[in-house]
Amino acid sequence: MRCLIFSDDADNLKEIISYFYKKMDIDVFCNSEVLDYGANNVYKYNDGFSDNISEYLIELYNKNKYDYIFISSTNLGRQIAGILSDKLNEKCMPEIFSFENDYKVVTKRFFYGGKSVLTEETDFKIFTVAPGIYEAKKVDKRSNLIDAKLKNSRYKILSKKKKNTGGNDITKAKVIVSIGRGLGSKENIEKVMPLVDALHGEIAGSRPVCLDYKWLSEDKQVGLSGKKVKPDFYIALGISGQIQHLAGIRNAKTIIAINKDKNAPIFEECDYGIVGDLFTVVPKLVDKLKNN
Amino acid sequence: MDIIVLIKQTVDMDQIRLNENNEVIAEDLPLKTDVLSKNAIETAVQLKEKYGGKVTGIIFGTEKATSSMKEAYAMGVDDGYIIKGYKKSDPIITSKVLSNKIKEIKNDLIILGNQSSDSYSGLLAGLLASELDMNLLSNAIKIDVDGDNVNVTMEAEKEEITMESKLPAIISVAQEINEPRLPNVMKIMAAGKKNINIEETDVKYENDDKILSDKAPENKRKKIIYEDGNGIDEIAKILKVVK
Repeated sequence: MRCLIFSDDADNLKEIISYFYKKMDIDVFCNSEVLDYGANNVYKYNDGFSDNISEYLIELYNKNKYDYIFISSTNLGRQIAGILSDKLNEKCMPEIFSFENDYKVVTKRFFYGGKSVLTEETDFKIFTVAPGIYEAKKVDKRSNLIDAKLKNSRYKILSKKKKNTGGNDITKAKVIVSIGRGLGSKENIEKVMPLVDALHGEIAGSRPVCLDYKWLSEDKQVGLSGKKVKPDFYIALGISGQIQHLAGIRNAKTIIAINKDKNAPIFEECDYGIVGDLFTVVPKLVDKLKNN
Repeated sequence: MDIIVLIKQTVDMDQIRLNENNEVIAEDLPLKTDVLSKNAIETAVQLKEKYGGKVTGIIFGTEKATSSMKEAYAMGVDDGYIIKGYKKSDPIITSKVLSNKIKEIKNDLIILGNQSSDSYSGLLAGLLASELDMNLLSNAIKIDVDGDNVNVTMEAEKEEITMESKLPAIISVAQEINEPRLPNVMKIMAAGKKNINIEETDVKYENDDKILSDKAPENKRKKIIYEDGNGIDEIAKILKVVK
């Protein structure tokens, strides 16, 4: 079996290569030098767009007769997956987080906004892969680096602006203290920071906190449309636990919830929960942690 | 400027219930306009208000889609087509049906939501752009038209990228682009009386996707809940390993 992987995000790319390493022969098309994760050939491009990247991928696919194409589900990746699906007239299975091909291809993905997991058997050739499919691991094998020259694009970039990021990458954190609407205001963040510090953790938040109220920067958003995190401990403060949020924390080892509403759905999806006012509970918890 | 907005109707996912085997009961669920489709409608209507022209809505759905089209009319969409025959999420089929209709309607811009809230596939914009050979810009948070050009700021993973493209173009929008308007009663009443063009398509779905299971994600959480603010000692003990 041979596959071609496309990604414009080095972290996602490493995860996908590691997931398929030793399961099939891997070639990669990307804009980063990811050479020690187990791919055979790494075709590296600079400054590509949906049109010229798709064109190059189609040439590679036709030339090397890959069995499967895996595309990381980034904004550019999804554009390209749609274009390839049309041009190659092959269906694309979106957002997979599991792939097996023992006898037939069986994939898993979330559906209904995370309410269900669809396990499907298909003969599809193109897949978009959700972030976090596997833990990236370096291997001894070194990949061949091939310089990929792209044709001219019909698009032009006028400007790029780095997103306002608040420091560390929450997908790599071991402990996350995450805040929801229940925190009440941006000013109250400082009341929970002692807990973040005591646990050497990272702060994160739900969609409303990061996108609607902007109490935290957008890269701190956990959920289906945000980051999917996998800490040892995820401490949810004043988060009700909407299904879209829960889809982002399924890989957390232990979930601890503090919320004053005992009917909040988060209590159905946590390991330990305290029903109580977070502004009373958190300082007490910090005291305990410091005194032990 | 002639704008087409593609509108999707989805089941109301908050109403989903599970049976005793933890499987989703998907029948007879209420339908509603997908969240991002409302942002797409708002985008199209705002562009019309700024640059003039006409907005045509298209829904590939079922006979129940009239409620979503009336909502779109109330928000400012001028004309609407419902193409009946939608059976399930199959982006290639949806793209074929929609592109056939789009080819019949004069357009400078096609607007749709970036990812629908049921599958999160996000494939439709690319499929349509390829099928219609149109310029593609996705996950837009800002759109400015300047003559034959459109400048679009797109939200990528780590940066915001502003790109220039020629019209006609197909643009998918992010939820952050706007706050969809809530039409007043007068507009809702007027929308109810407006004509909706209803067409049929006899598109054939292949049975090439065998669903082995459709269950709620497994929940192996311990669910040890302490009430009345108790449990601080226990939680502190569990967190001790962190230090």
